Amino acid sequence: MQSQSFANRYLTMRREKIAHGWTLAKRNRGCYLFLAPYAILFFMFFILPIGTSICLSFTYYNMLEPPRFIGFQNYINLVLQDEVFLTAIKNTFVAAVIVGPVGYILSFLFAWFINELPKWLRAVAVIIFYAPSIGGAAFQVFAIIFRGDNYGWFNSILMELGIISEPYLWLTDPRYMMTIVIIVSLWMSMGTGFLSFVAGFQGIDRSMYEAGYVDGVRNRWQELYHITLPSMKPMLLFGAVMSITSSFNISDVPRALCGYPSTDYAVRTVVTHLFDYGFSRFEMGYASAIATILFLIMILSKKAIAALLGRVGT
Amino acid sequence: MSEINTVRSKGTLQLINGKKFKGELVANETGAAFYAKGQKEPMAEWHYARMNRMDNIRRGGTSSQITVILKDDARYVFDLNQGLKLYSHMDKNWADKPVRAKTRGDILHEQAERLGQKIEVPKKHLITRRHPNRSIGGDIVIYLLLLLVAVAMVFPLVYLVGSSLKPLDELFRFPPPVWPSHPTMDNFADLFVTMGQSWVPFSRYLVNTLFITVVGTFGHLVVAGMAAFVLAKYEFPGGRMFFGVVTTCLMFSGYVTGIPNYLIMSKLGIVDTYWALILPAFAAPIGLFLMKQFMEGLPTALIEAATIDGASRFRVFWSIVMPNVKPAWLTMIIFSVQALWNNNAATIIYSEAKKTLVYALGQILAGGVARTGQSAAANVIIVAVPILIFVFSQSRILETMASSGIKD
Repeated sequence: MQSQSFANRYLTMRREKIAHGWTLAKRNRGCYLFLAPYAILFFMFFILPIGTSICLSFTYYNMLEPPRFIGFQNYINLVLQDEVFLTAIKNTFVAAVIVGPVGYILSFLFAWFINELPKWLRAVAVIIFYAPSIGGAAFQVFAIIFRGDNYGWFNSILMELGIISEPYLWLTDPRYMMTIVIIVSLWMSMGTGFLSFVAGFQGIDRSMYEAGYVDGVRNRWQELYHITLPSMKPMLLFGAVMSITSSFNISDVPRALCGYPSTDYAVRTVVTHLFDYGFSRFEMGYASAIATILFLIMILSKKAIAALLGRVGT
Repeated sequence: MSEINTVRSKGTLQLINGKKFKGELVANETGAAFYAKGQKEPMAEWHYARMNRMDNIRRGGTSSQITVILKDDARYVFDLNQGLKLYSHMDKNWADKPVRAKTRGDILHEQAERLGQKIEVPKKHLITRRHPNRSIGGDIVIYLLLLLVAVAMVFPLVYLVGSSLKPLDELFRFPPPVWPSHPTMDNFADLFVTMGQSWVPFSRYLVNTLFITVVGTFGHLVVAGMAAFVLAKYEFPGGRMFFGVVTTCLMFSGYVTGIPNYLIMSKLGIVDTYWALILPAFAAPIGLFLMKQFMEGLPTALIEAATIDGASRFRVFWSIVMPNVKPAWLTMIIFSVQALWNNNAATIIYSEAKKTLVYALGQILAGGVARTGQSAAANVIIVAVPILIFVFSQSRILETMASSGIKD
């Protein structure tokens, strides 16, 4: 009796909620009209591709014959047979684990330091730090700097100093390739997230600091933890999303600097692997499985970071 | 201590954690204390940092505000209704604070005149502390660190520009100079000769790029602006969820969706047309995201007033909302231009006559050692455009980015 009335009440509540939603939707018909153009395009070029990718990952598809359903075979092959994929996963993780967090923390620290500068100097500093990531192809200059002959700047400096006696093949020797890709990626890591941080610092009400001072905050680190971080949480999450995106999508740098495919697959990443299967071998099903795995990794990392940030400053 | 030099003020004290207390603030020569309503013991007490006699205390512009001016020219303002704040005059932002720096001089001079005395204006401090919790040592370390890293950040760019200006003999000199001793524009001249010899004239690439960038950016502005407007300012079923999906899709840009995107575009029949670049640019998640966050800061009253006056939703959007979010426009335009400019789209556009400038320059970039100078010149052009755009618009962009946070 009791439970039934509870169930009834629950059902009534649901019904009312739906009815309320319906009236709200009807009253705001115009909103959907406004949203429609964007929603359609967004669906077509962002949602549908992700859906297609997930569906195709369970098929064999080479663009010539229609897709053939093969269950989890692609995933099984990826993990059990494709040694290059495991290398790619390893490389991606090494790069992402270093470039992601380090780039993120550096972006935040330097945004914080820059915020302490006088205004005119701040503008200059923001441009200097942001320029590498904004200027898309700028990193290609590292091909000249790390060139494997005497005319490479890095080689020549080391030889002048007597550290090495003959030029090193920085970009084709598997021992150094990964390090260089990581350095270059870090150089480019002060991106949109960094801008968001700089803006976030400027948006904090200065009187919060004064109040903090009164309440016993005694140095800049305490101030950072107790006042700055809690009020920057939304920017921190945005920055995290941006840095996940850039660190898991590393592919331009290794492709342009170290060649494609790279020596011994030393800098092959998940995205270059995907490129290889998708656009060179046309094994679309297999490539889609790689993409799906990447989606999952990225969504999980975002969830983890959001949970982590939830605890900051409390 | 005379009673005249004590100021009492009723008000609300707000702590940083948001708790509010009603009560009374008493400020005198040595410090200030806050008594919560009906309490004998002070809830909080402050003593002035310097052992100075209070020179002057006065009420500020609003009843809940007290300005305390010490003899050494340190001022404190108690602003009760917006939280207890101590403003020191050393604060660089003093000018926009409730009490103007002029006030003290006026009062001092007034008093001096009345008493027939000569007054001495206190000397300015050599090192002013602009922020309470900063040690000078720490500042120096941070400045040095910033300088060091800034040099490291800018070095590759300088090297790039240097390489593009090097004559041939300096490109292959050991050790390679960072900046050429005889800078020359030869590489740029050669670059245009090379581009002129290619199958498609240089101007064609330029027109392609301009067309794609202008149409893509304008469409993006309108389409994403409209969506951002309703998402930010109206509550309707599905809106919140839609925005959540867009936020997640911020992560899935570019390569990961490349393959299915190609398949979908070939089904739509837009592969190898400009639309293959333009249509996805319309729906770029980052633009909608920034625009929506920025529009949320817009006062709802503005929109309601216009709606009551009988303006249609589109009118509200076009003539009230859009003109008020110009910084966000600019940011959207810049991100969109950057994305389109840097998009060489080798996979979805294959006829030479439709390729963009960056693609054409990229082909030279891949030209190998013999073209080192030219490829550096090409790279300088590719890189310079977005950086220059950013330089000229950075204050507006930062204004927009201030609202970029993801609220969970």
